[in-house]
Amino acid sequence: MKNLRDVWSSRFMHYIGEVQKYMQFIFTGHIAIVLVFLIGAGGYQYSEWLKVVQADFPAEIIIAVFVGVLLAFSRPTTLLREPDQVYLLPLESKMSLYFGKALAWTFWSQVWIVAIAFIVSIPLLKAVTDLTTIEIWSIFILVIVLKYISVQGEFSYRYSERGQMVWVDRLVRAIIFAAAVYMGLQAQFMLAVVAIVISVIYMIVFRKKSVGEPVPYEHFVKLEQNRMMSFYRFANYFTDVPHLHGSIRRRSWMDWLYKFVPYGKNNAQKYLVYRTFVRTDDHFYLWVRLTAISAVIAAFVDIPIVTWIVAGALSFATTIQLKQALLTSGEFRMDMLFPVPDNARQIAVKQIVRIAMVTQAIIVGLCAITQPMFYIAVAIVLVISELTARVAK
Amino acid sequence: MSVLEVQHVTGGYTRKPVIKDLSFSIEKGELVGLIGLNGAGKSTTIKHIIGTMLPKEGDIRLNGVTLKEDTDKYRTAFSYIPETPVLYDELTLSEHLELTAMAYGIDKATLDARSAVLLKEFRMEKRLNWFPSHFSKGMRQKVMIMCAFLVNPSLYIIDEPFVGLDPLGIQSLLDQMDEKKKEGASILMSTHILSTAEKHCDRIILLHEGRVRAQGTMADLRQTFAMPNATLDDLYIAMTKERDHEELA
Repeated sequence: MKNLRDVWSSRFMHYIGEVQKYMQFIFTGHIAIVLVFLIGAGGYQYSEWLKVVQADFPAEIIIAVFVGVLLAFSRPTTLLREPDQVYLLPLESKMSLYFGKALAWTFWSQVWIVAIAFIVSIPLLKAVTDLTTIEIWSIFILVIVLKYISVQGEFSYRYSERGQMVWVDRLVRAIIFAAAVYMGLQAQFMLAVVAIVISVIYMIVFRKKSVGEPVPYEHFVKLEQNRMMSFYRFANYFTDVPHLHGSIRRRSWMDWLYKFVPYGKNNAQKYLVYRTFVRTDDHFYLWVRLTAISAVIAAFVDIPIVTWIVAGALSFATTIQLKQALLTSGEFRMDMLFPVPDNARQIAVKQIVRIAMVTQAIIVGLCAITQPMFYIAVAIVLVISELTARVAK
Repeated sequence: MSVLEVQHVTGGYTRKPVIKDLSFSIEKGELVGLIGLNGAGKSTTIKHIIGTMLPKEGDIRLNGVTLKEDTDKYRTAFSYIPETPVLYDELTLSEHLELTAMAYGIDKATLDARSAVLLKEFRMEKRLNWFPSHFSKGMRQKVMIMCAFLVNPSLYIIDEPFVGLDPLGIQSLLDQMDEKKKEGASILMSTHILSTAEKHCDRIILLHEGRVRAQGTMADLRQTFAMPNATLDDLYIAMTKERDHEELA
């Protein structure tokens, strides 16, 4: 059998491949543009705010708590899979080698989040504190060290307690880390070192406790599955993820909508199409993401003509894609045999698309309400959608 | 008047027809078995009857009308249970029943009354709010069966119904078929489970290379093949050998 190092490497390559595949879609997709725009706008606001921030602004405590909480979230990435509980069982005593690699990756894949958060706050620290550049970068190194301790700590805790009450562990670590960072920001470096020592002791307690315990495969596998699922779900906002393809969710909070389809022979296709739209992730998220983009542009871009063009283009895109998604189907469905008129499905699809688009128009209108003539955006969404629905096959 | 009349139907996917000059009929209250080897044209025949394929030649009449003449009457006249269950992933069991009832113009009270009986018969009462992804193959099959029997049509078209059903499910289905027959409904059933077909079918149609090789009661078939006391299995195997001879010749 291959050694555990190879097992890790092949898992890791597969994982990276998977992440890359979807990252490509996320960053080439339409939302990437919106993200760049939002980051730019946020950065601009932040720099403007720094010019007027009061010297008594409690930057130290806010940054300490924020960084402390970020540090505490150090979910281990083990890449364990379900069959491992059977096949890796004979290697139980050698698993520390595997986990060493896993934790190294966990550290490097997460450290940049807290690093960026800290770097972003440096201008604020410069503005409201007397910390020297050397002191600030010393605190940066302190934060990196704390992240390392956090990754080891959370893993040991999850290992020894099999993941029970992990939020208590996170709270404890968040408090210790926040205290350490706060001491650093007050230039009390001795006290910061004391806080580090406490967190190391805390970590060692659970590491000792986990010695001799069997690997909690079930917990780690569950953790992996959840992580990949949430990644796939996130990617699904930007592109079609085959793992989630055609996935269905009840979305019972939308049940009120079905009340608009009363019981009756003429409403059979509507009964079906309403539910298909609401419960099929592909259809529903298509509407959600295009509506969200249109709404964000309407809310943040102050140039009416840009808002109108974007609203019109997205209205067209949403209508045509929804209509096609709900109408085309090569597969045999039982409703093809229903003794209802052949155009019943078309009528039903037209109606649900209209409802979806009126909702989009209202959302876009509300987001643009601060602009003069915001109602024009509403009218554009409605008119373009109606025209598209009529012309498109 | 026959419930179903298939008259000189030729049809198939491409230019080469799968079924050739097919003629048979089903009378009121009859259970007819459609038997044939893989590729004999059973599924194609059924597709023509349910109207997802249109005949190149010939006519199919249900209660006296073709699909073209009166689509609504034609489609209301039958219900269909496909070989592989075709369900809506986004609908729960109870919504499948409700949708079917709506489409066939069944009022709410009748829906409730009929579905209560069916759910009990097929032991699915506790799964009303389940989605198909949580169903086993047998349960999916049961959903299709319940939807079909909910409609109460003049003709049931059932494709290979026993595969995937547990013994209790098979018994429930046979009981339901028996009951509907007594009420005057007709059933066309395609199957490979020959012992069951022999036991329950009033008449049998043996399909062979897209043509009706023989049809009639068991007695008629035994006479056609000149095999007195033969079971349907024996006749089936005889037909297979006959084909082998033809291929060798």
